[in-house]
Amino acid sequence: MGGSNLDNRVRALRDASEHMTQQALADAVGVSRQTIIAIEQGRYSPSLEVALKIAQAFGEPIERVFWFSYS
Amino acid sequence: MHAVSSLSFHEKSAIGTLIALWFIGIFYFHSVWDLWQAGQLHPASMTALATVLVILLVVILVGYHIVIALIQKPQIDDERDRLVAWRAGNISGLVLGIAVISIVSHILIGGVFGSTLVQSPMLIANALIAAVFLATVVELVLTLVFYRRGL
Repeated sequence: MGGSNLDNRVRALRDASEHMTQQALADAVGVSRQTIIAIEQGRYSPSLEVALKIAQAFGEPIERVFWFSYS
Repeated sequence: MHAVSSLSFHEKSAIGTLIALWFIGIFYFHSVWDLWQAGQLHPASMTALATVLVILLVVILVGYHIVIALIQKPQIDDERDRLVAWRAGNISGLVLGIAVISIVSHILIGGVFGSTLVQSPMLIANALIAAVFLATVVELVLTLVFYRRGL
């Protein structure tokens, strides 16, 4: 059984929304801008709480924002 | 320029602290080595050297952190900051533990064979300072690695 990574489409959702900068999303979620950058680049898997807050900020269910990819 | 501006306050703090600690640490241990070679490694000389360098380190770090705080407002720690600090601290704690156990083992085992380390409390003190220095450098390097390459 291969390992799994947490993938996301935070960058795509942010690009699709007009005024959602990294800083605006960071403020909405309560983390630093660098943490949002790390999440977008796949360098950090957020906690369930932060993942839910990010999904909520985009008005999407969490499974449409974060999902497991198996390698 | 963009790469530097993308660094968080914590990363800038870790880089500055690592550089300052590295140069002052190297200068300290080089000076201790010279004093030992000259037979002048006494409590008074070591205390004077350590006091001057600790004050210098504090002044440099306070000044540096004031500058980076003026450039970039420090942020409240989020979950990633806490996780990075926890993991780096965990591993550096392990390094410190291994180093201290190595020194104690050397003292105990070396005592049987007449090791130089056992005969000099100043060398034991400096070996322990070196262990703390090593653990701190490891913690700062790991902090930067975890921030840049991910957890």
